[in-house]
Amino acid sequence: MKNKNSFFSGKFIIYLILSLGAIIMVIPFIWMILTSIKTFGETTQMPPIIFPHIPQWKNYSEVLRLFPFGSFYLNTVISTVCKVFGQLVFCSTAAYAFARIEFPAKNIIFLALLSILMVPSQVFLIPQYRIIQQLNLLNTLPALILPGLFSAFGTFLLRQFFMTIPKELEEAALLDGCNHFQIYYKIMLPLIKPGLIALGILTALWSWNDLLWPLIINSSPDKLTLSAGLAFMQGQYTTNYALLMAGSILAIWPMILLFIVLQNYFIEGIALTGTKA
Amino acid sequence: MESLKSNQKNKIKARFRSKRKYNDWMWAYIMIAPLMVGIMYFYFIAFFQNFFFSFTDLNAFGKWSFIGIANYVKILKDPTVWQAFKNTAFFTIVSVPISICLALFVANLLNSKIKGRVIYRTLFFLPVVTMPAAVAMIWRWLFSGDFGIINYFLKMISIEGPSWLNDPKYAIFTVIIVAIWSSVGYNMVLFLAGLQGISPTYYEAATIDGANSFTIFFKITLPLLTPTIFFVLIISLISTFQVFDLILMMITDTSVALEQTQSIVYLFYKNAFVYGDRGYATAISIILFFVILIVTIAQIKYHSKWVTYDV
Amino acid sequence: MKKSLLKISVLVVSVLMILTFSLAAATTAAEKKVTLTYSIWDSKQLPSMETIANNFTELYPNITIKVELTPWAQYWMKLDTSITAGGGPDVFWMNVFMPKYASNGVILPIDDKIEADNIDLGNYPEALVELYNYDGKQYALPKDFDTIGLWYNKMLFDAAGIKYPDETWDWNTVTDAAKKLTDTSKGIYGIAARRTGQEGYYNTIAQAGGFVLSPDKKTSGYDKPETIAGLKFWIDLIEAGVSPTIQQMTDTSPVSLFESGKVAMLYDGSWMAIEYGKTNEYTKDKVDVAVLPKGVKQAVIIHGLGYCINAKTKNPEEAWLFVQYLGGKEAAVVQAETGTVIPAFKGTQELWVESMPSLNLKVFIDMLSYSVPLAGSINTPKWWDVETKYFTQAWTGKISIEDAAKQVATEMNALLSAE
Repeated sequence: MKNKNSFFSGKFIIYLILSLGAIIMVIPFIWMILTSIKTFGETTQMPPIIFPHIPQWKNYSEVLRLFPFGSFYLNTVISTVCKVFGQLVFCSTAAYAFARIEFPAKNIIFLALLSILMVPSQVFLIPQYRIIQQLNLLNTLPALILPGLFSAFGTFLLRQFFMTIPKELEEAALLDGCNHFQIYYKIMLPLIKPGLIALGILTALWSWNDLLWPLIINSSPDKLTLSAGLAFMQGQYTTNYALLMAGSILAIWPMILLFIVLQNYFIEGIALTGTKA
Repeated sequence: MESLKSNQKNKIKARFRSKRKYNDWMWAYIMIAPLMVGIMYFYFIAFFQNFFFSFTDLNAFGKWSFIGIANYVKILKDPTVWQAFKNTAFFTIVSVPISICLALFVANLLNSKIKGRVIYRTLFFLPVVTMPAAVAMIWRWLFSGDFGIINYFLKMISIEGPSWLNDPKYAIFTVIIVAIWSSVGYNMVLFLAGLQGISPTYYEAATIDGANSFTIFFKITLPLLTPTIFFVLIISLISTFQVFDLILMMITDTSVALEQTQSIVYLFYKNAFVYGDRGYATAISIILFFVILIVTIAQIKYHSKWVTYDV
Repeated sequence: MKKSLLKISVLVVSVLMILTFSLAAATTAAEKKVTLTYSIWDSKQLPSMETIANNFTELYPNITIKVELTPWAQYWMKLDTSITAGGGPDVFWMNVFMPKYASNGVILPIDDKIEADNIDLGNYPEALVELYNYDGKQYALPKDFDTIGLWYNKMLFDAAGIKYPDETWDWNTVTDAAKKLTDTSKGIYGIAARRTGQEGYYNTIAQAGGFVLSPDKKTSGYDKPETIAGLKFWIDLIEAGVSPTIQQMTDTSPVSLFESGKVAMLYDGSWMAIEYGKTNEYTKDKVDVAVLPKGVKQAVIIHGLGYCINAKTKNPEEAWLFVQYLGGKEAAVVQAETGTVIPAFKGTQELWVESMPSLNLKVFIDMLSYSVPLAGSINTPKWWDVETKYFTQAWTGKISIEDAAKQVATEMNALLSAE
């Protein structure tokens, strides 16, 4: 039996590496929190000071006073939920077809789909602005949502997950007389839950943080999202970093919460070190 | 008698199969329709317009006239474009493998029954949610030539650290380090998802056979994870080739180091939105597109050599 | 009986409807209801802009103004995108980038309107009016202005026993003072030789009798000896060791150095008044500002925002009414009351000057008489980058300032002739 108390046991080294890594990962976030409770003057001091003289918790109420955070939250949540749902539906049906069905021009269509990812996103800015303008949806909530419902990235991701499912499951279902949609919905979709969750997390995060599109397409503060609203803190010559960080913390904690909740679905496999529990 | 029956049977089977084939095709097109309609409306038209405008002198307000391949000739003669390609290639080749390996390593560790794995996973994910302005602020301070912690530590082992963000030789490494730092958490999420797909029975069988963690990882986990690794590799390469925001935030636009650090998309942005030379910018983006396309096709072609979907 | 009741009610209702509609039509014919979009980028000025918009609507009740705020970093991208798509705001802020918009015909020339409504352009600093004139046509009414001043650290001056800067100062005086103020043992420099145009060498170029861009915007002034003299002023300061090197200044910005007492003097804009005078803990009780030291002559770079009208606006008459109001005295007073900007309209600057009694803000207004507009052409962003490329090398000492300037002139002339 392995001596679990051995100082240099594998487990200890693993914890050490993980802790070091975690510290490196978290330092900027801690800096964000510290900056958010400094005064504006303290944030621009050189050499930088680490701890504020007096914690300025009022920065948070100041940010809430300056901006319609209620509207920001509402718009961001609605547009994110719609985009995640839209992508989960549209991308998964398409991904299933790309992964499990042979059909003419499949590879070319898929490659064409991937090609969208290979040009800088700013390429689509003006054309999409024009489309939204033609649809008369400038400065509205749907404008925030529409282009983001469709994703080549999401389709590719789910396709990979669909491809890992054994063919036998499919053949059995086909013999039972199921059509493809039923196979997709009743059998395959539940099996790729981890993929759906990963896509959900990453899409939610992308939508939550997207600031360029909301700023370009909407003009009234009550039609903006959290990230777009925070961009106003950065002025031409000076940026109030304290308020900016406070606003960012206010904007980002739902995403952290979402991540904590969702990744509980990532159940661990067997312990890699030591004996089986 | 029997051959006739089997012949008939075969014909029926064949008709069933071809009916099924057309049935399949119908389902396939139906299922990809919603996505493809959306993509075509919002992305494809723009994509082809982009290609067209690379042969024009499109300006900031939509005025253009046809100029043939003049933009592409100009690119061939433009040393800043060549340097930007070199910068981008170097950046990609260094940061992608490191990021993937680290993420793979961490995801594996955090997929086992380690105490506090939820906390660790969240901590590793934090860089992905930290606001870009905050990321730039702290890393610029860490790398600061005079006040930065990194040079402080280097001094302790008697190395005179350079002015990282302003030295043309070293600035690109600051961007690489921040890129790896912020992408490990992202890739970790994808690998964690992929690891879920590996049935625990494989692990059980292996442990019963007496395999240690190294063997398990290399003989079972890794092969079964190849579809996810394939995905992460392609996506990472595609997006890293297009690095822009990071450089915009980390390197001031008047820095001496900019020319040795700026990426292709940075040049695209500068030409399109600062200079107003949209036609030229578009040509730059088309060249980038073809480079990425070739790299991606090459990976798809060879993926069957190392990716296993069905074990 | 019921049928005739029905007929009467239908008749009554139709008559009422006709009356209502004709009444409505009469009102709409008299006063078309118009909504104008007005685009700005400074969130600090949003309250004052909304006040002005509301005041305007009280005067013209049929015109409502929708104030749109876009952050500076995305303002131009959004403006260009919306204009390219055929839309865009009706009225919007403009700056030195005006030539790009004027030459492409996306903003409205307003000379005829200025004449028709008897607008006196003498109410604004001459250099500002010039800034918004392109190809002989006026494209905007000035909104506000900023000039550059010599900010200095009184505490460091007292410690070195030097008299504070005043209007008698010239290049020699400031160089001498910088030498006396530099104390390398403490890491303190006399002055920061910034490698920026508007806050830095554009001013000294004008003071030396040179120029950056010819008045007809067709030639570069960088190959003229006077221009080079204006640049050399800063190189001499670096070589004399009284300024941080450019590497130091890119690592830590000149503003940060000034705000931590590492630099005693800094040429910087009037827009920094709130930062230096109120916000920054270190500077707020230690700094003051003086007019720029003169070279061969006195000169200072002036820049300011202007109000433009979208050439494709559906309501040019109403847009002009609004721009006229924006450029007028009432709107200027509202701006002055915020203390964030110096309004362009003559006689309204007092409030800004008095907003921070501890600082001698009057110097920014005193310099108006010898102000020179910030130079801009269609390709301004391109030749700004050319300046950066070569002057950075000159600032590091890799090439001589003469060579750098001549290179810039060559490339800049090529860009100008391509316009």
